[in-house]
Amino acid sequence: MSFVWRKRWFVLLLPLLAITFWQVKVETDLNAFFTATDDEDSRLLAGLLKSGELSRRYLLVIEKTDPATAASLSNTGEPPISVATFSTRLVNQLAKLDEVEQIWPADQPPRDWVDAVASYAPHHARIFSLNPEAEAPELFEPTQLEAKADGLKQALLSPQGGFVKTIAKQDPLLLSLNGFKALQGQFQQQAKLGSGGALILQSRPAALDSEAQTRLQTAIRANFASLNAEAGGIFKLSMAGVPVFSVAAQSEISQDVTLVSVVSSLAVALVFLFLFHSFSALHWVMMVQGASFVIGTLATALVFPQVHSLTLALGASLIGISSDYPIHVMVHCAKHRNTPLAAVRLLWPSLLMGGLTTVIGYGALGFTGFPGFEQIAVFALASIVASLGLTRWVLPALLTNSALHSAHLPGIATWVDFCGRYRKALLGLFALSVVLAGLCLPQIRWMDDMQKLAVDMDVLKQQDAAVRSHFSSIEPGRFVLIQADDWETALQRSEAAERRLQSLRQDGVLGEYHGLFPWLVSAQLQTQNHKVYQQGLTPEFQQAWQAGLAKAGLSVEKLGSLSSAAPEPLLPAQVMESSVRHILSGQIVNGQTGVMLTLWLGEHDPEKLIAGLAGLEGTRYFSQKDQLDHLASKYRDRSLVMLGIGIGVMALFIRLQQRDLRKVLLTLLPSLASVLFIFATWALMGEEVSFLHVIGLLLSVSLCVDYGIFFIDNRGKDADVTYHAIASSTLTTIASFGALGLGKTPTLPILALSVSLGVTLGFLLCPLLIQKPKN
Amino acid sequence: MTIKRAMFLLLALLPIAGSADDSVLTELLARIRQTGQAQFHYDETRVLELADKPWHGQGYMLSGADGSLVKLQLQPARVIMAIAEQHMLYWDPQQNQRHSAALDSAGPAGEQIKVFRSILQGRTEELQPNYAIAAEKQGPQWTLRLTPKPELSGDDLPSIEISGDDKDEQRRILIKQSDGESTEYRMQKATAAQQQDYSLPRLLREASGE
Repeated sequence: MSFVWRKRWFVLLLPLLAITFWQVKVETDLNAFFTATDDEDSRLLAGLLKSGELSRRYLLVIEKTDPATAASLSNTGEPPISVATFSTRLVNQLAKLDEVEQIWPADQPPRDWVDAVASYAPHHARIFSLNPEAEAPELFEPTQLEAKADGLKQALLSPQGGFVKTIAKQDPLLLSLNGFKALQGQFQQQAKLGSGGALILQSRPAALDSEAQTRLQTAIRANFASLNAEAGGIFKLSMAGVPVFSVAAQSEISQDVTLVSVVSSLAVALVFLFLFHSFSALHWVMMVQGASFVIGTLATALVFPQVHSLTLALGASLIGISSDYPIHVMVHCAKHRNTPLAAVRLLWPSLLMGGLTTVIGYGALGFTGFPGFEQIAVFALASIVASLGLTRWVLPALLTNSALHSAHLPGIATWVDFCGRYRKALLGLFALSVVLAGLCLPQIRWMDDMQKLAVDMDVLKQQDAAVRSHFSSIEPGRFVLIQADDWETALQRSEAAERRLQSLRQDGVLGEYHGLFPWLVSAQLQTQNHKVYQQGLTPEFQQAWQAGLAKAGLSVEKLGSLSSAAPEPLLPAQVMESSVRHILSGQIVNGQTGVMLTLWLGEHDPEKLIAGLAGLEGTRYFSQKDQLDHLASKYRDRSLVMLGIGIGVMALFIRLQQRDLRKVLLTLLPSLASVLFIFATWALMGEEVSFLHVIGLLLSVSLCVDYGIFFIDNRGKDADVTYHAIASSTLTTIASFGALGLGKTPTLPILALSVSLGVTLGFLLCPLLIQKPKN
Repeated sequence: MTIKRAMFLLLALLPIAGSADDSVLTELLARIRQTGQAQFHYDETRVLELADKPWHGQGYMLSGADGSLVKLQLQPARVIMAIAEQHMLYWDPQQNQRHSAALDSAGPAGEQIKVFRSILQGRTEELQPNYAIAAEKQGPQWTLRLTPKPELSGDDLPSIEISGDDKDEQRRILIKQSDGESTEYRMQKATAAQQQDYSLPRLLREASGE
């Protein structure tokens, strides 16, 4: 195809690609990027982060601004409204929002919970106790029945009379409520905290659906502001909960993505202009890079259901790498007065090998187990292949009329000469440094806390702690996990765990917990309860109950006959078809196999709790943080393995091209040495090294190896020009990866530092370790 | 009198009867309107579905100008039930039971106490959306009957009868639930001496546990 047609096709295809690009669905859910799903625990963690019940909850606190301000603001002459009244108004307003599943004051159960409790009355004989044998003497003590009957009468006369009546008609001894004592205790505990303005809001969207959560938070604030304005502006609202963090993190990451993309593109453009003084060449090369970027995105969209925004941010840094190929061509064009076609033909074997090693580096990245990097690997593969192809077949057509002037980079020739002149001394110094660096390696500190890689949100964390002090605490990230093949076994295990938790609570190891009993009760425990119930209903007991009722003035006819029969056992399937499903939705986890149940924990001592649960089959303590930390060390180990494998595969491919084994080693040496020195520096500095540092170095190796290939190949037969071309591509790589350093998400500066240090050192070591090729 | 003539007379007098009824209603609504503080001694009789015999209690009702209300039961045991700032409070020291709930989220119990407050404080505008109100006057005795509107029959609203005399010293309130339970209050304005015994804010503090 003629150059004219190649150019026309390219110009025509570019807008088409761009249009397709806008149709790509971009994922902003951080979880999808950071959490692996290759084992059951990781899937559980990912699921909990994504849609866990506690993760979807907001904790809202309404407080009065300081009294002086409140007094000065409330100048309407009317008495200022109370926090409780204002909270009630806000609850009514927020309940109308589409994104709100439910909102309730923290010290009162939601209405549907109360109705659900009442629905258990017919099953009282089967669900009244977690420890029926132990509780039977107290529950079925005839001498207590007079007081019980009087208590029932008082309950019927109280504001809860309607609720109690519904239950008493089916369960005169109110046994079913015995099982729900713990639930009542939770709300009483909250009421003791005495904060009328503590509200719990359960959102419909998942915590990490930051778009919907942003909308919801805006609506919450707007509703509060309008009610507060009516009330004279005397209230303030504080919010906490996982969605608050996810929205803040999302906002930080979005800013990072924009910043990195813009700065990286600008930096590469400026370096390019500095190097070639040609706007015409710049715009063509930028179009080639733009096309590579779009092709990378489309390939990712084809392989994965969604493209993550961080893939695009890191992908933007690839612009600097994939512009290396045109840069090499253009430096040779400018320095040797070659046509672009001649230059590209001359350099093609080196370009191909350089591209291949970079692809290997990114491919290895995809196998580190970090889900986000799988996307980046696919993205890199597609965009590097596109960039190479466009450089080979389209760029010569685009540059036909561009005048190229390659800038002379000061110091380049001097450094090459210096390395040549003092080669022996420098090599001695290098050997000594290698030994010293090797000795430093054991001192490396590995980062074990994955939280250190998260966006820093100290202010939000303080606000979160302040808000949580108004609530009796259930910790969202730590719980007891029950696993079994079937419901019955899972429930029996859960009941055994709850019994242990009860005694741990009595010992002060645990503040409170949210269990599943009596919402879900195993068939075994139901049978046990029923047996104890039947044994308890002796004729003496029945008579004492009737006497108690008569003394209290209650109807013996309506409440006096206690039937020993009970309905069929309440099956989990039945319960999960009722409204109780919503109450328990956060505690029943959809595992791939079997049944997974969670018991939520309040404040606790993890070590004592784990010891307390020892010996219970299918029951273990689960901490999201521990799981993340475990993932961090797993990622680190894998990334180290992949670093080794990546280098091995690169060596293999170079060996296929270079028959001389010495040359293969020389090609790899600068990049390997730079990795060693960087590790040693981190060890000396006490830097905590994470899997991201290792991944950064893996990338730098894949880039540095290109320098070795170009330097040894020296296809232009002019070492100065080759080294100039390498210097130019180093500059663009540093410009693009350096831009990552501006990001606030800690992952980005880590990658920026690792790659920039790696390529700089690799570039500097090239002329030292590889003897200057003859021209 | 033929049926035709009787019908004519009835039709002719109907507007007068209607306006007479309206004026009685307006007068009675104004009469029961409570704007300031008030205190009543009450005798309560409750007929419960699950009780064999009616239950009796007595105590004081204290009504505040801001809409707060305290029902202080002294017999057979001290129990305080109150509304303050859209919250319902309940305190039974003998059973050591304390409840607090926002009126709007307290379910049927909250609805019932809201209705009772509206009756006691004469906030009939709060009742009008749900009730048809009829007034009747015979000599010094008057009666207001509040019947749930037929379209709201599914909401389990109680029917209410309030009666009293011209002197406004005594009042009777009868609340009949749809399930047959009923509560009757016979109320008498508290004497000056009785009024000094109890303070509404103090009782509210006791109910809320402050």
